[in-house]
Order: sequence, then C-alpha cells, then structure tokens
Amino acid sequence: MPATITEREGESAGSAIITNDFVIKFANVNGSGSASANSLFAKCVLRMGVPIAARNIFPSNIQGLPTWYEVRVSEAGWLGRRGGVDLMVAMNPQTWAEDVRSIGPGFYLFHDTTKPLPPSMARDDIHVIGAPLTRICNETYADPRQRQLFKNIMYVGALAHLLGIPTDTVERLLQEEFAAKPKLIDANLHAFHLGRDYAQSSMAPIRLRLSPADKVGDRIFVEGNSACALGAVYGGATVCAWYPITPSTSLAEAFTAHCKALRTDSESGKAKYAVVQGEDEIASIGIVIGAGWNGARAFTCTSGPGVSLMQEFIGLSYFAEIPAVIFDVQRGGPSTGMPTRTQQSDLLSAAYASHGDTKHPMLFPADPTECFEMGALAFDLADRLQTTIFVMLDLDIGMNEWLCAPFAWEDGKRLDRGKVMTRDDLGAGIDFGRYLDVDGDGITYRTYPGAHPNKGAYFTRGTSRDRYARYSEEGAVYTDNMQRLLRKFDTAKSLVPAPVRRDAARRTPYGVVYFGSTTPAMHEAIDALERQGRHVNALRIRGFPFSDEVFDFIRAHEQVFVVEQNRDGQLRALLINEGGVHPTRLTPVLHYDGTPITARFITAEIAGQMKSIETMPVSD
Amino acid sequence: MVFEKVAAVYSADGRRSLKPTGEPDEHYECDDVLVAVGQENAFPWIERDIGLDFDQWDMPKVDPVTFQSSNPKVFFGGDAAFGPKNIIWAVAHGHDAAISIDKFVHGQSVEDRPPPMVTLVSQKMGIHEWAYDNDLSNDVRYKVPLVDKDVALKDVRTEVELGFDRKLGYAEAQRCLNCDVQTVFSAPLCIECDACVDICPMDCITFTENGEEEALRARLNAPAHNTTQDLYVSETLKTGRIMAKDEDVCLHCGLCAERCPTGAWDMQRFTLDITHADHRCQQR
Amino acid sequence: MTYITKPKFRHPELEQNARGFTRRDYEGKVSTLCAGCGHDSISAAIIQAVYELDLEPHRIAKMSGIGCSSKTPDYFLGASHGFNSVHGRMPSVLTGANLANRDLIYMGVSGDGDSASIGLGQFAHSIRRGVDMVYIVENNGVYGLTKGQFSATSDRGSRSKRGVVNHDAPIDMVALALQLGATYVGRSFSGDKHQLVPLIKGAIAHHGAAFIDCLSPCVAFNNHEGSTKSYDYVREHNEAVNFLDVITGRAPIKLDQEAGALAIVEQHDGSTLRLRKIHTDYDPSDRVGAMAYLTERAAAGEIVTGLLYVDPNAEDHHDYLNTVEAPLNTLDSEALIPSASALDKINASLR
Repeated sequence: MPATITEREGESAGSAIITNDFVIKFANVNGSGSASANSLFAKCVLRMGVPIAARNIFPSNIQGLPTWYEVRVSEAGWLGRRGGVDLMVAMNPQTWAEDVRSIGPGFYLFHDTTKPLPPSMARDDIHVIGAPLTRICNETYADPRQRQLFKNIMYVGALAHLLGIPTDTVERLLQEEFAAKPKLIDANLHAFHLGRDYAQSSMAPIRLRLSPADKVGDRIFVEGNSACALGAVYGGATVCAWYPITPSTSLAEAFTAHCKALRTDSESGKAKYAVVQGEDEIASIGIVIGAGWNGARAFTCTSGPGVSLMQEFIGLSYFAEIPAVIFDVQRGGPSTGMPTRTQQSDLLSAAYASHGDTKHPMLFPADPTECFEMGALAFDLADRLQTTIFVMLDLDIGMNEWLCAPFAWEDGKRLDRGKVMTRDDLGAGIDFGRYLDVDGDGITYRTYPGAHPNKGAYFTRGTSRDRYARYSEEGAVYTDNMQRLLRKFDTAKSLVPAPVRRDAARRTPYGVVYFGSTTPAMHEAIDALERQGRHVNALRIRGFPFSDEVFDFIRAHEQVFVVEQNRDGQLRALLINEGGVHPTRLTPVLHYDGTPITARFITAEIAGQMKSIETMPVSD
Repeated sequence: MVFEKVAAVYSADGRRSLKPTGEPDEHYECDDVLVAVGQENAFPWIERDIGLDFDQWDMPKVDPVTFQSSNPKVFFGGDAAFGPKNIIWAVAHGHDAAISIDKFVHGQSVEDRPPPMVTLVSQKMGIHEWAYDNDLSNDVRYKVPLVDKDVALKDVRTEVELGFDRKLGYAEAQRCLNCDVQTVFSAPLCIECDACVDICPMDCITFTENGEEEALRARLNAPAHNTTQDLYVSETLKTGRIMAKDEDVCLHCGLCAERCPTGAWDMQRFTLDITHADHRCQQR
Repeated sequence: MTYITKPKFRHPELEQNARGFTRRDYEGKVSTLCAGCGHDSISAAIIQAVYELDLEPHRIAKMSGIGCSSKTPDYFLGASHGFNSVHGRMPSVLTGANLANRDLIYMGVSGDGDSASIGLGQFAHSIRRGVDMVYIVENNGVYGLTKGQFSATSDRGSRSKRGVVNHDAPIDMVALALQLGATYVGRSFSGDKHQLVPLIKGAIAHHGAAFIDCLSPCVAFNNHEGSTKSYDYVREHNEAVNFLDVITGRAPIKLDQEAGALAIVEQHDGSTLRLRKIHTDYDPSDRVGAMAYLTERAAAGEIVTGLLYVDPNAEDHHDYLNTVEAPLNTLDSEALIPSASALDKINASLR
C-alpha cells in the first residue's frame, strides 16, 4: 500500500528519502513566461511514469501579479490537491513571506540566490537552497526578454539534477514541443544545462526524489476545457457562440483549434463549423438558440456571470423547447467574485435558471475524460429533450491539466437528433402538433424551418400556447403544457448519466455524496477515513435531474455527507428540494475559499461531524 | 317509348326553339315512364276586340314599369305579364301594378310614380361588433335533402324535396353575403393609413390618383372589368388621391370598417321601403 | 383586434406568381394590432414583396423580438416558420439561425424599442457581422404595448399624447446602420407601398446585411399634432431621393424612357436594382456621401427616404467565416464526427 496523506501528515524534518510523493510549488510573476517551464517540469515527471496532479493558481491579471503552479507528485495516484508544500520554487519576491510560510517543516525553499534572502523571511525549520539564476542569465544573455525566459528553464535544469530527471526525457519533450522551431530546442536545452550544471557542481542533494515508475499507463494529461471542446466536436456541434470570460475562454478557443484540425472540408478547405465571438453572453446564447431552433447543434461556454446574463434566454429555451448546450466553467462567485479561483457555486442558478417555473438538466463531469464524454452526450440530450443542457465543470477541471483516462470513441456512433418530423413524415400526413405529446414521455416532435412547402410550419414563441403552437392564455391550456414539461423532466432522469456508487468494505450507516472536481480528493479522503476505521459508502452524482438511485442511497444511510465547493450547500438544497429529503439527514461538508478542495479537509470534516450511530441501517 | 329527334334552332333575336330534324323516330323500351309537363302562357279567352294589343307571340303588350296594357283599364302582372318567373317577381309586379291602378282610378298619370324610400343605418355596435353577422361562411351551397328514390318513384304525389332542417337551414343562411349592408366611406375622416386596403380579402379598395373611369379601372389593385357595376369613388383626400372601390366583388365582411382607425369606413344597412298603393303614394 | 377569420374568398382574377401562389397565399393570421397601425401596412408590403419575388414561403424564416412590431410575423407568411424571441435579442437569434442554415431567407422584424433601446447592441453587432438578412425596424417613436412612452427614436421636442415633451436626442437607425457597415440601407414609410415594396424586394435579393428603417405611425399613441412620427408629419417632411424597381435575374431590363435619371445596379446574386432617381445628385453607392447628406437633411428637418446605400458586391457572415456551402444543419454524422483513430492521435499528443 503506497503512502497516503494521513501518514505524511504532521511529518517533520527527517532524513529519509521521499520518493515520488511530494508537492512542489512554483511561485512566479504573471507574464514572466514561467508557464512553459513549469509545464515542461510536469511533463518530465509524467514521462517518468509517475502520476501528478498539477494546478495553476493565477490572478485575474495579465502581467505582474503573483501566480503559482503546484505539482503534486503521487506514485499512489492521488490526484486531488493535497495541501502543504515540500519544495517551494520561490521566484516572486512579492509573495516570499507567504510562500516561505507555506513550506512544511523540514522541507525546502528554492530561490534565486543572486539576491540574498531577506533575514525577515528566514525560518530555521526549513532548508534554503538555490542558484544564482539571474547572475548566470545576465552573464549568458544580452536580451532582457531572453534573460527572463531562460531563467525559468534554468531552474527546471537545477530541479532535474536535484530530483533526478533524466536529461534525455527533457530533450525529447523539447524536441516534441518545438518540432516546428528547431532553433528553440537548442536554446532551451542550453539554458536547461546551465541550471543543471550549476546544481551538479554547487548544490547539495535533497531528500525529495523522482524515480521512474510505471504508474501513468496510457493516461493522458489534458485540460477539461479542451476535453469539453473535443467532446463538442465529436458530439456534432457546428455552432459555437461565446463571450470571453475566465475560466471558460479556453474552451471556445480549443473548439476552434480542434475544428480547424478535424472539421475543415478536405476538398474545399471550408469550415464545417462556425465560431462567433458574441458581443456579450446574451448574444452568445441567443445565437445558440437561433441555431438550435434551426436544427444545428450549438453551444456556448461561460461562467457564473454569463449564466446570470443568459437567464431570460434559458427560460425561452425551456418554454419554447429549443435545444442548447451551455458549458458552465464555474468560478468563485457571487458577482465578479474570484474570477480565477474555483467553486461549484452555480448549481442553483443553473438548475432553476430564469423566471417562472423552470428546471434544467445538468451534467457533472469529474475529470477531462468525462468532460469529453459528457461534452458529446450533452448535444444528444439537448436534441432529445429539446431544452438547455448544462455541463457543469469548474475552473479546477477546466483550466488545469489533469491526468486521466484517454478519450475513447466508437466509430459508427450516430448523432441522436431526437424527435424531428421530416419532409416525408409531414408529406405522409402525420398529424403535427409542435407541443403534442404523442409518445407520453413529454417530448414532442419538432420540424426544422423550411422542412416542407406547406406543412409543419409553426410560430415559436415564449408566450403560452396550445399543443398546436397557437397562442393561448387559457389556464387549462397553460397548465397542460407545464405538466407536460414536468413529464419531460422526469424522462430526463433516465437519460442523464447514472450516479457511480462506491461501497465501503464494511456495512455502514454513513454515506457521502459528491460530484465533479471534488472526486479525486474525495477518493483519497475515503481511503484516509477507512484507515481511521471510519467507513463510508459513496455516491458520485453525475446528472440532474437526480435518478431514484440517488434518493434510495440517501434513504439507506443514517447520515449522509454532502461534499461540495460552495458556501450554501447547493447540491444539498437541490436534493432536499427535488427529493423531499429531510434536511437533518444531509450533513454539509463545504469548502469554498476558491482553492480546490483537499482530501485533508474532507477527511477532517467528515471525521469531526460523524454522529455516533448505534444501529446499522436495516436496508442497504 | 318513341322519341322524335329534334334540334335547337335560334331565331334572330336569340330565342330558342326545337325543330324536328326529319330523322327516323327512336324507340326505347321502358319499365316506367314519368311524364314531365311544362307550362305555357296562352290567352285564347281574351277577346281580341277590346283594345288590348298582342305581340308576335300572342302575348298582351304590357308596359314594364306601369304594368298597364294597351287598354288603360287592364293591368297585367306575374307570369301573365312577361312569361314564367318566380313568385317574388309576381309579388313585385302586384305592388307596382297596384300603384298604377291607384293612380289611374284617381285620374292621375300612371307614369308619375313616387320613388321608394331608402334608409342607410350604421351597423356599428362596438369596436369590432356589428349589428349584422359579418363572419362569412366559406361553405359551398348545401344540397336540399331529397326523399329516397325508391319512395319517390312509388308515388307521384310524394314531395321529393324535404327542405332544410333547422341546422342546415341556419348553415345555408350563414352564406348570405349581406348585400343590404353597404360600405360607406367618409373622405374627411380618412388618414390614408392603408389599413382597409391591407385587410380587404377581395382587393377591392384602392387609393390612387383620380381620372377617367376607364383609366381608373385599370389602376385598381385588382381589375374591375364589370362596367355595369359602378365604381365607388370618394372625394379628393388630403394627399390629392381618391379612394376607389370596386363594388362588384365586395363581400360586405366589414373588415375595412373594423380596421379603420377613424371611422372613415362604416357599414350601413340599406333598407328599401317601397312605395305603397295608398294615400302615401298620393302625397308624394 | 378583428376576431373573425379573414374570408378565404379572394378576387376571382387575383393573379398567380411563377410559383402558382396568389398574394393571399402569403398572408398570416389576422392582425391583433390596433386599427390603422402602420405595422400592418408593412406586413402587407412584405407579403407583396415576397409574392412578387416568386419566393416559396417555407424558404423564409421570420424572426422578431418583443413589442407591437415583433408580433407582426404572425400576421404574414403563415406557411413560414416564425420565431418570436425575447426583447431586443432578435438579431442574435437570427444570426444563429442563419449560421445553422444559410439557404433560408431571414427576415428580422423589430421595432424602435426592440432595436434602438434594449437591443441596440445586438442590432449593431448583427449589422457589423454582415449577417445575410432583411432587418426591418418598424419605427413609430413610441412604446405602444406599454401605452405611449417615448422610445429612443423619438425626436427631441416631439410631444407625447399626454403632452409631455421629449428632451432626449433621438437615435437615427439609418445613420447607425451606415456607420456599422450595413451593405443595403433604406428608409421608407408604411403609408407609401410604392416605395416600400420594391425596397423590401431589393433587401431580400441583397446578399449581406440589409437594413430598412420604416416609419410606421402609431395610431393609438403617436399620431397626434406635435408628434414627428404621425401620418401627416411624415408625409409633409418626406423627401424621397429615389424610387426603386427590383428586377430579378430572369427578367429583362427595360429602360424607363420617362425617368430622368436611371441607375441600374447589378447585385451579387444576379438580380438588378433599377433606381429611378429623384435627387439626381444622390449617389447610393457612396457611403460617406450618404452619411453626410442624411445628416444635413436631418438637420433641416427632412426625413430622407429611398434606397440610401447599397454595396452590390457585399459579402456576408458566412463568407467571412468561410463556412461550407451546405447548410450546417444538413451535415450528418459522417460529415461531423471525426474518427476514433483521429482521437487516438490526439490522445497520443497528450502524453
């Protein structure tokens, strides 16, 4: 059994070598070109077959503010954020105090020794190491920009020596990265060796080591946003309308890039897709709804503030029954909140978006693999259910590269366009009522504009209308329609992804429900709790509306922890509201400071809040 | 049954008569023969020396307005006057003949006939409510139900046409085009918004420059070829144009008046109060 | 307001177009707008234009926002799909619909509240993008459905029915459209179908963003003395620079001998615009000149109408995006879903 965080907790200075299980954090200045160096480091570790979890902690700023890159190295494969730092690469004087404070006792501070560390920062319980990066750079490079950029590669060189990264791994990665610009390969390699040589000649060995393992397998290292975008391509999306907003911007940009590669007509060179940067989120969702109404698969990607702006249109999509897909890459709210921090705090505003009685299906991917799958599935669901489908990811999944299972697709899979009456159907004289529930599942047939010369045309509107799309404010007609929409929502239960259950080794009255980016930390916490003799059954929710299985699980446990990353327990509120669950059964475990939730936090919360339950549950 | 073969022959004035063709008669075997008999006017019993003139068809010469014959004391009406027509005409003839007789016995000229009274009353009740039923039926004429053929053929005295029942009769009556309800236009009220033009199902309203009738007819939104039907032309409007309406195809649906924001169009019921043969016709 | 069904009877000699349709076949439901509303005349003009162009109704999509004007798509082209979206957002919905199927004709109908106030941004951006559409603003200078508040196109000094004077500067949609790069810009008046119908036909035939500002008096709230959007005021101040005659590609060009100055503009799609000029020095192919002229005449209190600007070689949003010829909504799984092996390559690049 590999080491887990519980064993490491409270560990202080020692002399034992720690292999493949530590956290290294890079503190940089935004805009200094550190990202590619840090990413190079992360990839080196992966190429050694050692799993990592990497997270950007960045400001809402382009240049000058502090930014961090945290790499958790875990041969055991724990991909949640651990908390704590074992090696701090402190390249930003502005955050020195904070950075030095976060280092665990007995661990390491790496800094640019060109300038001595201010005595006020000194801690006698940590090891201070470093290299005169600026001095070497200034001696080597004349151009100020090069001095800045190569300083980053130099510390990677130094770390490579200290931790044990083979040089050929670095070489291969640089060759792949700069295949198109061979000049840069040598320049980077040169800087890398400058750092490495210095460390070799002048630095003492440290206790942290990387050692080749075979624990990565065929897994890929990718951002959730890019995965969602790729899912949208495989899901047949042809129209993307979006408005730049952190943390969703890279989703639209990735869609454009993927489409360019995969959706350009080989003969004509023309695009089998259209991407429009809207003037705002309202226009973006408007374009999506216009395209969806007209039979194209369309989506927008946004974050909380965008969802707020889209409310009116989402209501239209619900009531007029127009397919749309919204990727909500959640960030810290409310208002502008913490634009570059993560949260799961849009559940309520998405689930019940818009005025009046509305409910919208949501999908909760837990990693980029699911981002891809659900990104494609969302379009089938939108067409099947003729409504807005939310894919609820967050900044943590969206903007960080995660180690996850490779994307998989079966050739021959067809787009499910849902209930559409064709020209032939209409020509055959089949009765067409746009809001006529012929199958009893609440889903009605639609026609695409222009389908038939004289049949199937109807007037789409956000006002109340009868089964044949004729304007009506008659109470009975209105309630008939609203009841059918409920039936449709009920049908959605069986269409959204089913929850995933993980049972404890022993029968237990304790359960936990969680979703999305909480998943890796949750798995680690369950493991830690088990070591403490605390057994919990776990249910990962993947879709809304909740299936019966979710409520059966809650009923089968005396105390159910609802772990989520917001202040108000939004998933818990949804469970109470939609399933009539008694609030006392659901114990909230809430993490909402904007950083990704950690296993340490969950473990402590659950251990602390566990009620003493004498009796085992009767049913399971 | 033996049939003589005949052919239709038309005289110079267009009258049709059937003349034997001279071909051999044709014989048809029948189970039943129903004999349909027409009727003909004939006045062999009127003495030909009482001052009553007869025409080439041996029918009395009758004035079409006064119904007076060439013998001033003798008046004709109904089928006796101008050949077979329906009962409505016969009643009308009676009314007009009665006026003539009234005048005649009072020693006045039968030619000097007081005109009938005409009234036009607005039918507007509310913003889109009319005192007449303006919702036109798109139905085609209903067939009058008939007695089953087997029954009808058994007894020649059986009444074959059953007539409309209440429901069918109502539906058939709904097909009435309300010809008595007229579109009446008041030029000073018109703001030339085109609402009436846009709504008219028959395209019979046009706003255009005034001119000679022939040219004007050609300028209408839809051609008005029936020159026996006068155009309804307004006074000159604010823009210098006139409103011209082709009455020939008007459905009297009143939509022009419903869509008129100023009441320039109104639907008014036309009532014809015919002259009666009594003291009232004397006074006028 | 009329609640009876418009009789199906039609004039026995009503002509049929090349598609075998009469003008009546292009009608929609009976309008529920107030009697005498200018908007109904614009609906009639649209019907006439589509009829004269021999278009099949189902090849047209009608889009609108919210307001009196936005209700009108229910009142014309009953055999076309229509979309009454949300307030001020018709342009984005139309843009999306157009992206999904470039083969249909998109008719966006909006009002001055819908497009000059709440939807000013969307109006601007749809024009900027060159969306291939006919964008008609039924401009009455007033909020009708909420009973008579001033709109953003109300002229300064215009008096409301209740006697309130408007002090805010008006937004000139035509000036905006010109500035934003519309490639077909016209202004007309609901009470003048001779000018309006050809202008709509030209806009339909135009490839690119076509905008028509159509003054359309509100009989209920803005047709009184003191209003600058009343039938009388508009008639008195209307300065037509030209009259348009649209000839489709099929029809031969006949030179009108009577016209003093005749301009023939060949459009991208082969259709021909024949302009009968009234102001001989007005050049509708000169965007800058048009802007200057309009500003000058507006200052003089005139309402300049006619075809004010046209770029016959305009491109549209699809041209800019370089999208395939086939409508995106017709692309099937084969065309849209990359292979599993393509995905394997992507996986390999992420290790």
